[in-house]
Formats: sequence, structure tokens, C-alpha cells
Amino acid sequence: MSVPAYYFDGKSSRRHAVRLAVNGQLAVLTGDADRECPLAELRVSERLSHGQRKVSFPDGAYLEILDATAFDAMLLDTRHRDSLVVRLQQSWRGTLAALCATAAILIVGYVYVLPAAANLAAKALPVSAERSIGREALAFLDKRMLSASSLPPERQQAIRERFMSLVPPLDGAPHHELVFRKSRVGPNAFALPSGQIVLTDEIVHLAGGDEAVVAILAHELGHLHERHLTRRVIQGSIIGIFATTLFGDVSALLANIPTAMLDLKYSRDAEREADDYAIAMLKKNGISPAALARVFEALEKAEKEKGGSPPYLSSHPSAAERIARIREAM
Amino acid sequence: MMNPDELLAATEFPAAPTLATQRFKFTGSGSEYFRIWIVNLFLTVVTLGIYSAWAKVRRTRYFYDNTVLAGSSFDYHGTPASILRGRIVALLFFGAYTIAGMVSEVAGGIALLVLGLLFPWLIWKSLQFKLGNSSYRGIRFGFGGTARKAYFVYLLLPILSGLTLYLLAPLTHQRIKKFQHEHSRFGGNAFSFHAGAGGFYKIYLIVFVLAFCGMFAIGMVFGAPLAAIARTRAASVNPATLGLIAIFVLTLYAWVFLLLPLLHTMVQNLVWNNTRLGKHRFASNIGMRRMAWITATNLLGIVLTLGLFIPFAQVRAMKYRIESLTLLPGGSLDDVIAAAHENASATGEGVADLLDFDLSL
Repeated sequence: MSVPAYYFDGKSSRRHAVRLAVNGQLAVLTGDADRECPLAELRVSERLSHGQRKVSFPDGAYLEILDATAFDAMLLDTRHRDSLVVRLQQSWRGTLAALCATAAILIVGYVYVLPAAANLAAKALPVSAERSIGREALAFLDKRMLSASSLPPERQQAIRERFMSLVPPLDGAPHHELVFRKSRVGPNAFALPSGQIVLTDEIVHLAGGDEAVVAILAHELGHLHERHLTRRVIQGSIIGIFATTLFGDVSALLANIPTAMLDLKYSRDAEREADDYAIAMLKKNGISPAALARVFEALEKAEKEKGGSPPYLSSHPSAAERIARIREAM
Repeated sequence: MMNPDELLAATEFPAAPTLATQRFKFTGSGSEYFRIWIVNLFLTVVTLGIYSAWAKVRRTRYFYDNTVLAGSSFDYHGTPASILRGRIVALLFFGAYTIAGMVSEVAGGIALLVLGLLFPWLIWKSLQFKLGNSSYRGIRFGFGGTARKAYFVYLLLPILSGLTLYLLAPLTHQRIKKFQHEHSRFGGNAFSFHAGAGGFYKIYLIVFVLAFCGMFAIGMVFGAPLAAIARTRAASVNPATLGLIAIFVLTLYAWVFLLLPLLHTMVQNLVWNNTRLGKHRFASNIGMRRMAWITATNLLGIVLTLGLFIPFAQVRAMKYRIESLTLLPGGSLDDVIAAAHENASATGEGVADLLDFDLSL
């Protein structure tokens, strides 16, 4: 049995019409070129249903097989076996199994593995690393969104003292510092990786009593204590790498959409964790968690007056859900 | 009169290529590439990305093996180990840049500067790797060039272009293509490039006019309702307003998304119609409307299937681009002699890959 093929010697682009035969452990070419080579030294390209199969010699010469069926029979005779990967990608069943397995791994990874791994990694990182990330954040915000607080110093001091007197629900709360500012974008409070908790005048007015203000601060301390920023940076980068490898060569925007959408769930999870932290902290210090619920009610009311955005596009859980959780915990 | 042996040979061995025009053919299929793509994806996920180097080799081999000219296909010789090395270096660069950016704006700026200074060198190395590992009929391609020229076209010209409000962008593009094509060779034969900057300026002008007209039209349609919203000055973010703004931005994006491949297509036609390999010439006649149609439907398919259409889309676009290319031989294809062998490093290739940089050769 022999198979027709074109032989290229690797030295010139001339093509030689040859016949390939196998004689024991030797491949034998006859025709425009004559050559013998041990089978063990040849490399056969992977099976494809489209595209030419090639047999390469160690010196760069190669054969282009012209009769794929006869070549398959010859390979069978020489006990050449396709690799597992090739068998997998040549079968629809194998492909479907790989597709399902990939989807399952990605979903489990997204929902369980990545958050857990990011949590471990964040807790292994020293707080000082996080601090060095956010050193310039407050200066940046001061330039664009914030201005000096108009809250009387006595009130600031009272809030500060009240919050400092509380005991955090877990040991090892990170060092933190309260910063009072006036906001240009409405009521807000947020924790910076530097350990600064920014409280805007607007949210202090909205909250009303000191207990509600303290509840907000407890929520923000929760973000710091649970290392949410570091965790989300880690999670976001991993998802970003995945999305870029998947969609990057189609469109950079297309690659960013899933990254942003998938981050929303992590953001909402972080808010829930911080809520739980705040509830635990309030309870431990004999304050009713209802104080936190009142803040959310007030925020929701303010939000409704502005007109709101749909919950599935939101970085925070809905106020109703958060209030229900607090009532449950009471 | 043929004897039986000759007759048999004539049926088994397709007629030897003559001096007639040789059209490039792409024999790959979307469904087969889909299977390769899915298995690659699975193994890449399972091995936390390490397999991606092997995946890249499989993918590239599939495209090369299915690109046929005058009865013979192209061949890719890059090894997974060298690509993996390149990717690790790329990841280190990328990681260092990200961390520097988080530490402070200054550190991020310095990292960006260092990356910018390294980039031309990486692209140059990447071209050497890519061409050095490509072959046709057993003869390797190759890339020469010098670091000096790479820095001139990939660093100095883009900076000058930015300083002149991108008036020099078409010239920069022309010099980049000239650099890429003039320093490429096939065996001992060098490619030559004959397109001047004028053709590039014409293309950019057409795209600029089209972009302007399209944006003007989009502005006319959305202008009135958007102005109405601005007039109410309500800080209110209600869903209807958000929806309108989203559609406005998406329409603008879709327009730009359609124009970019148009630019690439016109450049590809111009570049290949003016490239020669010794006495051989090329002709590229990609149709604008057809390419726009393929791009738009591909994007739609990818979005609707959450990405599963990607391999089909890539094969479809590749097939059209490759099959629009013709070789006009100026002599026998049999007499190219291999050049002295040289080794290329995969570092450049890996970095260019990870940073999503399309060399579009």
C-alpha cells in the first residue's frame, strides 16, 4: 500500500510528487524524490476533517498527504494513535461535554471559588498593602466631589466619640479614622482603603439621630474589616483576564460588559456582608438594628423623589431587601 | 498519448500550478473550529490558563493548515513552550503595571512609560517570531528590520502624530505597514512595498467624512429628545432617560464599530495591491459592503449566543479576507531557496497577544 503525497525538502520551494509507503519501521518515499526515514523520527500533524495532513521529517522537510483515507489506513497499520485532545475535538459528544464542564466550572468558580480565594488572599495581604493603594484617594475626591464640612465641630466630636466607644463584633478591627465632608453628589458615606471613613453632611442630616449615624459608620467599618476593596480588586482582575481572553479579540467594549455586570453581584454581596457586620456591631453594643433600617428607609425615600434605577443594574441590594434582612436579624 | 502510469499520476496529483493567477483559499469550517475552540477553552480553564499556550498553537495551526495557495497550505512552527514563556513575561509586565497604578498615579505613570519604551522592541521581536515560525512549501518566512526602525515607526511617529492632532496618523500607518512588509522575506526572497502615504490619507479622509456624516445623522435623530432632557435640568435618573442615553451611546458605538473594519479593509486592499515578493505580485479585492455585513452579523451572533458564535465568526471573517487575496505569479513558485535559519524569541509575541495588539499581517 502506498499513499500519494507532495514532498518538500525544506531547502527549496520545489514540490516533488512522491508515493509514501511503510516498510517495517521505515517510511519509504519513491517518485520525484527518494528517501527513507525511521517512523519514530517522523511527526504527523493532527487529524482535521478540513485542511491537509502533513508528515514532517526532523530536518524540516515534509510531506503533504493527498489521499487522506488511504493515509488513515496506513496510520492504523503503524499503530499511530491520535492524542486525547484530538479525539475530544473531533467528536461532537466530547465537545459538548467540554462545553458543559467549562460552563459548570465557570459558574462554580464565579459563585464560590473566586470569592473564597479572594477572601483568603485579601486576609493574607497585610493591611499596609491596602493602605498604600488608597493614599491619594481622598485628595482625589476632595478635588472633584467633596468640600469642607459645615457640621459644627461639637457635633463631629460627639459622633466620633460615640462611634469610638462601640466595640466591633469581631476582633482585630483595622485602624480607622472618621472624616467629615460636604458632598456635591448627595447623601453618601464610604470607606477608603486608607482606613478613612468619609461621612457627608448630607447623610448625617438624612439619618437624623446619632444611633442611625453610628449604624452607617458600623456598615462602613464592615467594608474595611472584611477587606472588601482588596477582594473586589482581586475578583475584578481575574474576571477581567477571563473576559479579555474570551472576547478581547472581538471587541474591547464587549469584553468590559460582562466584567462590569459580573462585578455587580460581588458588590451587592459586599453590601450584604457589611450590613450583617453593622447589625452584629449594633446588637453587641445594645443598640437596636432598627437604626440601620431607618437609614435605608430615608435613603429610599430620597432616591424615589429623584426617580430610581432598576435593581438588577444596581451595585447595592434594594432597600426593601436590606430592611427585611435587618428585621429578620432583630 | 499517455501511458497508464502517467494517467494515474495525473489523476492523483492535481495539475502543477502554472503561471496563472493563484487565488488564496481557506478550507477551514466554523463547526470544526468551534470544537477546537471549546476544547481549548475547557483545557485553558482547567489548567488556570497554562494551556493557553498550547491552545494558541492549535488555533494558529488550524488557520495555517487551512490556508491554501496553489495546492499547498501554510505551516506554523511555534512551540507552546516558547509561547508560554512569552505569556509569563507578559503577565509579569501587566501585573507590575497594574500594581504600580494602584500604589500611586506617579508609579503608574512610570510603569506606563517603561511599557511604552519597551513596546516597539516587543512588536519587532513579535514580528520576527511570527514570521520565523511560518512556512510555505517547507520554506520559512522571516523578518529582518532593526530596533532603530522599530522605535522610529512604533514610538517616534505615533508621538509626532499625537502632537499634530493626528494629522500624521495616515503617514504613521503607512510607515508601519512599510516597515512590516519591507523587512519580511520568504526564504531568501524579500518582500517589497510600494504604497505611498497618499493612498493612506485618502482612506483616512473617506472614513473621517463617513464618521462625521454618520454622527451628524445620529445627532439629528437624538438631538431633540436629549436637548429636552437637558432643558428640564432634572437630576432625576428615570429609566426612560437612561434607556434613551444608552441607545444613543450604543448607536454611536455601532457606527464606529462598523467604520473600523472598513478602515482595515481599505488598508488591507491598498497594502496587498502594493506588495511584491520578488517578481510575484498580489491583489486584494475585499468588498466594503460585504465586510460590513459580515462584521455586523458576526457581532450580533456573538452577543445573542453569549460568545458561542465567536469561532464561527472568526472563521467567516478570516475566510472572506483570505479568499479575497490573489497571487499574480511572475514566474515559477518552485525556485525559492531557503535562507540561513535564525531563531526568534516568543517574548514579543506573548506580550502583543495579551495586550490585545493586532499586528494584522
